[in-house]
Amino acid sequence: MNARHVGIVLLLGLALGTAAFAQKVTFWHYWDGANGQALQTLIDQYQKSHPGVTIDATFVPGSDLVTRLQTAIAGHQTPTMAIADQVTMPLLTTSGALASLDDDIAASGLDLSDYFDGPLAYGLRDGHRYSLPVSASDLGLFWNKALFEAAGLDPNKPPTTWEELTSYAQKIHAATGKVGLELYTGGGEGTSWQWQVYLWGAGGDILNADLTKPVFNQEPGVRALQYWVDRVKDGSSSIAPWGLFGRGEAGMVMDGSWMTQFFPMQVDFQLGSAAFPHPADGSPATNLGGEQVFVFNGDPAAQKAAWDFIAWFSSHEVQVQWDRATGFMPVRRSVANDSSYLAWVENARPLLRPFVDSMASAHARPPVEHYSRISDILADHILQALHGRMTPQAALDAAAKSVTPLLP
Amino acid sequence: MRRRPLTRVLTHALLIGGAFLSAMPFLWMITTSLKPEGALYQPPLLVPTHFDWHNYVEAWKAAPFPRFFLNSAVMTVGITAAQTLSSAMAGYAFARLRFPGRNIVFLLVLGTMMIPFPITIIPSFLIVAHLGWLNTFQGLIVPRAVSAFAIFLFRQFFLSIPPELEEAALIDGAGRFTIFWRVVLPLSGPVIAASAIFSFLFAWNDFLWPLLVTTRTDMQTIQLARVSWLSG
Amino acid sequence: MTPTPAMRTGRRGGASRPTPGRGLRALPTALLFLLPTVVVLGTFNFYPAVYSLYLSFFKWNGLSPTKQPVGFSNYGQLLSSGEFWNSLRVTVLYAGGMTIAALAVGMLVAVLLNQRIAGRAVYRVLYFLPVITPTVAAGVVWRYLFDPTQGVVNRGLAMVGIGGPSWLTDPSWALLAVVIVGVWKRVGFNMVVYLAALQGIPQAHYEAAQLDGANAWQQFRFITLPLLAPSTFFLTVTALIDAFQVFDLVYVMTSGGPLKGTDVIGYYLYRYGFRYNELGFASAIAYVMFLLIFVVTLVQFRLNRQGATYAT
Repeated sequence: MNARHVGIVLLLGLALGTAAFAQKVTFWHYWDGANGQALQTLIDQYQKSHPGVTIDATFVPGSDLVTRLQTAIAGHQTPTMAIADQVTMPLLTTSGALASLDDDIAASGLDLSDYFDGPLAYGLRDGHRYSLPVSASDLGLFWNKALFEAAGLDPNKPPTTWEELTSYAQKIHAATGKVGLELYTGGGEGTSWQWQVYLWGAGGDILNADLTKPVFNQEPGVRALQYWVDRVKDGSSSIAPWGLFGRGEAGMVMDGSWMTQFFPMQVDFQLGSAAFPHPADGSPATNLGGEQVFVFNGDPAAQKAAWDFIAWFSSHEVQVQWDRATGFMPVRRSVANDSSYLAWVENARPLLRPFVDSMASAHARPPVEHYSRISDILADHILQALHGRMTPQAALDAAAKSVTPLLP
Repeated sequence: MRRRPLTRVLTHALLIGGAFLSAMPFLWMITTSLKPEGALYQPPLLVPTHFDWHNYVEAWKAAPFPRFFLNSAVMTVGITAAQTLSSAMAGYAFARLRFPGRNIVFLLVLGTMMIPFPITIIPSFLIVAHLGWLNTFQGLIVPRAVSAFAIFLFRQFFLSIPPELEEAALIDGAGRFTIFWRVVLPLSGPVIAASAIFSFLFAWNDFLWPLLVTTRTDMQTIQLARVSWLSG
Repeated sequence: MTPTPAMRTGRRGGASRPTPGRGLRALPTALLFLLPTVVVLGTFNFYPAVYSLYLSFFKWNGLSPTKQPVGFSNYGQLLSSGEFWNSLRVTVLYAGGMTIAALAVGMLVAVLLNQRIAGRAVYRVLYFLPVITPTVAAGVVWRYLFDPTQGVVNRGLAMVGIGGPSWLTDPSWALLAVVIVGVWKRVGFNMVVYLAALQGIPQAHYEAAQLDGANAWQQFRFITLPLLAPSTFFLTVTALIDAFQVFDLVYVMTSGGPLKGTDVIGYYLYRYGFRYNELGFASAIAYVMFLLIFVVTLVQFRLNRQGATYAT
């Protein structure tokens, strides 16, 4: 055996030894397709610069994640870390299985004030923080330029107030017979979260400040619901299966930042994007989606390794890379203002810019445990009003009555 | 029975109409899958005129299908074999063996068909986890190794077989199991096939249980893969 | 006496012969045959079912380490909830409608296919295709087919001058749409079972009837129908058990809407158990659901026992 052999053996031994001593972190997520690949790219990058750590990322379909986590927690088979839809954080923290991140955040010097307010509303319980935002999306206005032209509207001037929105929608419907403004009338969260944008734009809110009473049945809420009812009544909107805009059958629609990638691939018309209109006497508002990352209580070494990865993942440079690869909205203001990020938006995804700017006015849905049920109750009553079975005030009052027992 | 031509035409017309309704969704699926994106709602709706094979190619390339296929295959074959055998045996017991409490037990077995599956998830998962069967084939197969539906099917079938053959064998001194194996089963071709087919279909398409029991990608089945790798 | 391969319910009627497989002596053998069934069903069905009954007396979100005992209030809330009674009504309508329609159509197709006509095998395959389709896939496809303006169904209706409704977004029509898909999916199965039974009916019966002057309809009513009774029993029992638990179709096509018009009990259970994480309440729903199906099945067994007459 010569020196070269010894060298090889030593290297192998070192590699194997390092692998054997490598800290393993298991990470459950539901980012699929290109987003999943972007995650893996970043993980590979991280592992290269941190050879003592292996991060094993497993995909779990989003709709089943909570069930998986429930069984994992009950069976003591939790992964090291996971992501979840931000609205499920109040539910997940009741398990007591999540690790508090306060100390880690303080020690790492992560500046929470750099985060947008919306995402930060989630993940808190009893004053402690259990999760960090890692991705976001928001809602805005898309319009069909060809239909604008057909209705005699300037294809490059979107509506900015409800008054303009109404007038444009009616004009499109009158000129082309197609729907002017597409609403999500399929019920559930899809309906709720669209309508909430109108509610907030009119100056209202879903719950009061300490999350103990519903206030969506006050004047701004009634006004927002009346707006929907009126649009359906005058024909500029309709109750129909979702997807009219994508087929060129609707002039305008409220949809998410992720559609800036998909619409251009699917449609054969020119489209524009803008912040969603609000009443002239209201204020800009939009709704927020996104994921938060958290760590489970367990092996301290694994927890530490997980946090190190999260801290790295949350850093400015990595977030810029992440948002560019996935099209997610920045959760940090510094990223939203970063010149290289904005330059990328300008060149590669110009439709995305209004969504980035809207992050500052993005509201969080109430971070309460029973949010899904509240959302369904709200949607049911919105639809009752749309179908003409109840007046907006009666519908919202009935909804408020059903929601009250669900709040502490 | 002699038929008049009118009856014959009517019969065929009805049958063709019905067959078309049955097959129409598949025609739509095939035609649509071969269309380029964006042409989804454009006619023709039921006859393929575009042939965008790349949709299939991309779908195939997106994921390590051979492994998922293997997992699904092993699990499905395992469940099918287990269900067919255990159900045949149980069905025979209910049909031929007059033991005390037989009817009650049969009703209880039928009763399990009526327990909504989602409600059994968490406790079943806990048991499987305690046994260390997560991410194993036994975890995928054993909890579904018995099918009350198949038991019902076999019982009904065995009841319709005349008992003379078995009684003759009994008089000759054969044991019950031998009778079951050598006399009854060979006569049961149709019901074994039917039961196996239903078990196979159920196992192949099952989604929720494999989702819960497999936490590692290399153990995932094809239904899981279809959801996770092909969305978007 | 010719043995008929038609399915029987197997009550103890008929000549009683001395068989060694009777009474206590049968027990050990029975245990042997039933061992896998008892072990697997006991562990993975019964134990969870009992645990679920236990859960129905608590309020629990599936994650919190503590469960809150609430006595019978889950059941109380359930029985006084308008949503529940709506759900029950929708389920009964779906189950009844789907079962009857699928039986009738299945029987009709089987009778038609029981003759020597061209292309029998092809027809059988085509009718059976929906049965082997995964329910979720079927639901997705039919959702497109029911699209109000672009879907095949309304386009087809338009060709004969009928303006189709909005199907899945119309509270008055959505349930019918779901029933149609349920029937579509079930007919092939009923057809196969009936075909097997029909083939066991001796031609002699029909020939005798014809000699007596019976027409086709009378032959069907007085020979075919009664002899198919055992199959009908089996198909009705299994169809109802299945229909009462329908979930996939509703989940994919309508999400229980519009305006809760298709909120079958299976979907109601899913909502409370998996969307709202009210596991205690969901367990109560499951038990009421179970009792319902059990009672309905029991009633059918009783009715069948009373009405059983077999041709020999």
